[in-house]
Amino acid sequence: MDHKPVIVVHGGAWAIPDFLAESSTNGVKHAACCGFSILAQGGSSMQAVEAAVRVLEDDKSFDAGHGAVLNADGNVELDAIIMDGRNLAVGAVSCIKNIANPVTFARTVLEQCRCAMLTGDGANAFAEEMGIPNVPTDELVTEHAIKEWEQYQKYRQSVTSLFNTEKACDTVGAVAIDSHGNVSCATSTGGITNKMVGRVGDSPIIGCGGYADNLIGAVSTTGHGESIMKVTLARLVLLYMEQGKSPKDAADQALDYMKNRVHGRGGLIVVSKTGEWSASFTTKRMAWAGID
Amino acid sequence: MKPVVVVHGGAGSIVKEYEEGYISGVSQAALKGYEALKNGSNALKAVEEAVIVMEDDPHFNAGYGSVLNQEGDIEMDAIIMDGKNLMSGAVSAVRCIANPITLARLVMEKTDHVLLTCKGASQFAKSQGIPEVPTAKLITERSRERWKKNLAPGSNPLKLQLGLGTVGAVAIDGEGNVACATSTGGISNKMVGRVGDTSCIGSGGYADNAIGAVSTTGDGESIMKVVLARLILYHMEQGKTPEEATDAGLDYMKTRVDGYGGAIVINHRGEWAARFSTKQMTWAAVKDGQLQTGVYQGKVETETENPRDDHLHLH
Repeated sequence: MDHKPVIVVHGGAWAIPDFLAESSTNGVKHAACCGFSILAQGGSSMQAVEAAVRVLEDDKSFDAGHGAVLNADGNVELDAIIMDGRNLAVGAVSCIKNIANPVTFARTVLEQCRCAMLTGDGANAFAEEMGIPNVPTDELVTEHAIKEWEQYQKYRQSVTSLFNTEKACDTVGAVAIDSHGNVSCATSTGGITNKMVGRVGDSPIIGCGGYADNLIGAVSTTGHGESIMKVTLARLVLLYMEQGKSPKDAADQALDYMKNRVHGRGGLIVVSKTGEWSASFTTKRMAWAGID
Repeated sequence: MKPVVVVHGGAGSIVKEYEEGYISGVSQAALKGYEALKNGSNALKAVEEAVIVMEDDPHFNAGYGSVLNQEGDIEMDAIIMDGKNLMSGAVSAVRCIANPITLARLVMEKTDHVLLTCKGASQFAKSQGIPEVPTAKLITERSRERWKKNLAPGSNPLKLQLGLGTVGAVAIDGEGNVACATSTGGISNKMVGRVGDTSCIGSGGYADNAIGAVSTTGDGESIMKVVLARLILYHMEQGKTPEEATDAGLDYMKTRVDGYGGAIVINHRGEWAARFSTKQMTWAAVKDGQLQTGVYQGKVETETENPRDDHLHLH
C-alpha cells in the first residue's frame, strides 16, 4: 500500500433548510464511511465513489435518485457521471427516467458501451438491455419534492437563475484516492426544481460536474449548474492544481472566478494525487464529509 | 480589431471524389461568416451563419447530410458560445430540425439553461416556431448507403466514418469578441441516445474573450476525456500561440487516450490556427479579405486573385 486512502463526499451546495440540515449531515457521514470501508479493504476508488454516491442517491434528503426534484412537467429526469483517473475513462447519463441509481448506470455505460455519454430514451433503452430495474417515478418522488414543485409552479414567471442558485438545486458527489494512488470522481443529481423538460445541467458534462486524472487529482462539483458549465469548473480546479496550487487554494480560486465572471455560486470537493483534499463552497451551506 | 473567421468541415480521411465539394463548402461557409463580420455583425452571428451554410450542405455530417444512428434515425448535437460573457447554448440528440446551431443559440438566448436534450429540445424548438423537418428530408443517399454497409456483420463503423466530420467555426469581430459554434450528426450507426463531444461545453467548443475560441472535431469520446477545447485554451493562457497550443492539446490526446482529431482556434489578438492529428481536415479561413483553405497536413491553398470582392459576390 503506497497511498493512504481518502474519500470526500458532498450532498449539494445550496441554502439547505434547517429541517434538512441534520439528515443531510448524517447522510454524508454515512456515505463517506461506506466508501471508506471499501478503500480500507483494498477496494478501488471507482468502487468507493460509486458506493458512496449510491448511499446518497438512496437517501431521500438529497436531490439524486430517491428524493430528486421535479421538472416543469412534474417528472423526474436524472443526470450522473463517473470517471476513472487511471485512463480518463468516463461514463455519463443525462435526462434518464425511472432509475434508482444513475451512478451505477453511468458506470455501466463506462464499462459496457463504446460511448462516453447516453441521453434520454436511448439511455433508458440501454439500461433495460443491461437489466437495470425500472423504478416507477412515484417511488423516486418525495413529498418535499412535490411541495417544492407546487410552490414553483405558482411563481413560474418569477423563477430566475439567481433564485435557483441558492434555493432549489443540489447534487451529490464523491471523490476518492485508493491505496494504489488511483483517483476517481462521481456526481449524481435530479437537477433544478421546475427545470425545463430535457434540461441537462453540469453534472453529466465531463470537466463540469466532475473530472478525475491520476496525474492531478479528482473533483466533484455542485451548485448553479449553468454557471459551473460556463467555467468548466471541475477541469478549472485541476488546471490550477497543475500550476502548483493546493487543492484548497485551487478550489477557492475557481469558485471565486465563477462568482466574479458569471455570478454563479456553488461548491466542490477535491482530492489531489497525493491525498490532500478540500471541501469548499460559496453558497450558504454545503453538506460534506471526508475521511483520511 | 480585424475580423477573422475560421471554419472546419471535420477531421478524418477524405474520399478523393468529395474533396472538391468539401473545399467549396468550407470556403463558402468561411466567406459567409466573414461577410457577416464585414457588415457589422458580431462574432456570435458570424459563427452561426457559417455553420448554417455547412449544416445545409449535404457534404457535411451536420443538419442535412447527418449520419444515421443504429435505427436509421438522425440525432444531432450542437453548441454555440459567446466569449464576451461565457454564455452558451447547446442541444444533444435533437431530431427533425434543419439547423441545430440555431436551436442552440435560442437555448442560450431564451432559456435559463445551457443544454437541452432529446424530446425536451424538440419541444422547445416547437415553442420557438422552428419548423419540424421529417428525418427523411435530412437523409442523403450517401448517409443511407453508409448506414446500410455498417449494418453488415463485421463492419467497422468507425472506419467508414472517416471523412464524415463535424462542422464548426470560430471568429473574432471588430470589437474583439470571440465566439465558437460546432454542429454534428455524430457517428454513423451510433447507439440511440449517444452524445459525443460536440454539445459538451469545453470539449466540442469553448470561447472566452480573455483568451480565444476553439471548435473541435474527431474522435468524440477522446475529445471528451481530455476536454480538448478548454485544454487548448489553457495552453494559450500559459503563453502558447494558437498553433503551439493546438498541437500540444492534440498531442496529449494522442498519447494519453490514443485519440485523433483536429481543431480550429483563434486567440484574442486574431491569430488563428487549423491543426489536426488525423490524415486530413477540411478547413477555411478568411482574414484581411484573403481566403485560405486546406485539407492535407502542411498544405495551404491561398486565393490570391481578386481576393475579397470576388468571393463576397458569390452571395
